[in-house]
Amino acid sequence: MTDTKKMPQIGHDPTLPAGPDQFSARAQLDERGSGGGGGGGGDKKGPMIVGIALFAVTLLGLMLWVRGSVHAAGDRIEHPQADTSPKVAVADNSEVGYCTPAFKSVLQRVLNSCGLVGTESRRGCQPADVKTFASISDEDFNALFTPLKDRGAVILFDEGKDDLDPDAKKLLEEKWQERKGARYFFVVARASKTGTPDANRALSHRRANSVMLDLQGMIPHDPDIDKQVGLLWLGNEFAQLSKDYCDWTSSGGKKEKCSAETINRSAFVSWVDCRL
Amino acid sequence: MSKEIRLAGALALGGAVLGVVFAALSTSDYTAHLDRQMHVVHCSFIPGAEASGDEANPCKTALFSPYSALFRQSFWGGIPISLGALGCFCFFAGLGIYLVLASERAPRRSIELLAIAGLVPLAASIVMFGISLTQLHTFCKVCIGIYFSSALVFAGSVVAFRALGKEKRSGATRPKGTMPVLAGGVVALGVASLLPAVVYASSLPDYKPYLTKCGTLAQTTEPHNSLVKIPTTSPKRQVVLFEDPLCPTCREFHGRLLSEGIFEKLDVTLALFPLDNECNWMLDRAVHPGACVLAKAVLCGKGKERAVLEWAYDNQEDLRPLGKNGGLKDRVVKQFGADMGTCMDDKATSIRLNQTLQFAASNHIPVSTPQMYMKESGDKLARVCDEDTDLGLKYAMGQLAPEVLP
Repeated sequence: MTDTKKMPQIGHDPTLPAGPDQFSARAQLDERGSGGGGGGGGDKKGPMIVGIALFAVTLLGLMLWVRGSVHAAGDRIEHPQADTSPKVAVADNSEVGYCTPAFKSVLQRVLNSCGLVGTESRRGCQPADVKTFASISDEDFNALFTPLKDRGAVILFDEGKDDLDPDAKKLLEEKWQERKGARYFFVVARASKTGTPDANRALSHRRANSVMLDLQGMIPHDPDIDKQVGLLWLGNEFAQLSKDYCDWTSSGGKKEKCSAETINRSAFVSWVDCRL
Repeated sequence: MSKEIRLAGALALGGAVLGVVFAALSTSDYTAHLDRQMHVVHCSFIPGAEASGDEANPCKTALFSPYSALFRQSFWGGIPISLGALGCFCFFAGLGIYLVLASERAPRRSIELLAIAGLVPLAASIVMFGISLTQLHTFCKVCIGIYFSSALVFAGSVVAFRALGKEKRSGATRPKGTMPVLAGGVVALGVASLLPAVVYASSLPDYKPYLTKCGTLAQTTEPHNSLVKIPTTSPKRQVVLFEDPLCPTCREFHGRLLSEGIFEKLDVTLALFPLDNECNWMLDRAVHPGACVLAKAVLCGKGKERAVLEWAYDNQEDLRPLGKNGGLKDRVVKQFGADMGTCMDDKATSIRLNQTLQFAASNHIPVSTPQMYMKESGDKLARVCDEDTDLGLKYAMGQLAPEVLP
């Protein structure tokens, strides 16, 4: 310390080593004896000043830094910067590859006009509805469902019948339980060419209802079912299935050889993994 | 003796400088989180290196533990104890350099001050080390840096104490100094330890407006009753918890609720939300492989769902590799019996788990865990923001549901 040499040297202690640096300290010792305290010579003050200064300056600096850090955090809350962190996904129903804009567009129109979305006043779509609102050809309509080959199944009915046999019920239950993230369950009932269009329309309607009733029986009092199950009955007027659909998963396949006739005595059922 | 006093001062100074650096690093990590965002947490013996936001980062575990701060109910996040260390080490920096410079001229009282006061950071470090060992079961490198710094200061104390003893035995004299020097030093240490905390507390923003801005559950009940009721001893406030049995953050959150005495006062409904694409279609990969298996185990708890969940939390480290490599179900069966395995394989259990996930999808909650939704007025279930489930937990509960606090 520069002030050490300027301080008056006011004493001597033989117990301390000799030398100019110790001299003023000896003076302190002599001055205060065993009860000595602060103050006194600069030689003693020097280290103390350095110590106190380091303590005070460091503490003050750290306090200012703490205050600044806390204020900065407060500012960041009030004025958040553009969030560059990865966005957290939001839980939702599943959406898979076949949910193309075209698919969803048709699906939306079908849902709107079949009572699942919006007004709850009616349930199900009949052929005229599908033709009008889907605005789509038979082939294109069936093509929409092609990607659902593994997801869905064809519930087969006996000729002129609308009741589900045990095999059909089992398959329907299996398919219903494979919901995963899907939002909608579609039932597309048909009738074969045999019979009049009016009779087949009514028959396919009954087949769709049979599926719905079985689902309701399977899960009684399920409040979601009406919001999940979309019923379409097409009679024999629209989107008849070709023989190509014979290799799809179906019930009752062993009873009768599959043909273009038998495959349309059916209700195609599937969960649809699209968000609408 | 001057060499020994100088050594004592140097040890105290060295420990103090190192302590200030590590305590500042810890404080910096803490204050960064005051903006209610997630930040990386430093965890290295080399100050400033190795910052990470990993769930397994021990320094993050320590930072988010209830032991990292005091007065959490009064201040959002509480007052970090590292602030006390900051002030404390400043004091030892001053005292250390004084002893280095004054050495033989230093009054006896100042050396006694180091000998006595050096016990303070050591005692604090021993307590925190014990907490790390017995409560956190992990050691944070920044904390170890502080423990080491405290040990250096204490080493200075020991050297100072021995030097005084030698002096006494050799009959060497030294200015004694006054008791006020000693008392003043102790007061200065206390004030220094408190001042940063006072500054911190007085600078904190008002967090109340931010507590209820994280959304609500649109659908408050699951129509198939697939959610799990978790029994607690004195339920006072209804909450729905979205949790994943293999999620470390969920485990820590559960631990915080228990250690703060909050959990037993919650009326808990558990919505299992495994972050595993084996059952959860909302993910394209498994964040916690095996979580679906454990979620089914919880669903199959048959009255012991809480025990199964807590077992999964307690054994996460062992269960996680089994989730990745197989054998998790066998481990569950070994623990809870064959009936559990049969139930886990039952299709009805998969359907119930799927219904739980559909509940999450219907509510469009963020795909993350844990999440806590707390009943407010009417049937409204408001989300407790993520940041209020960790650092701000006690403060948020004090504001939103004071009846759940002990």
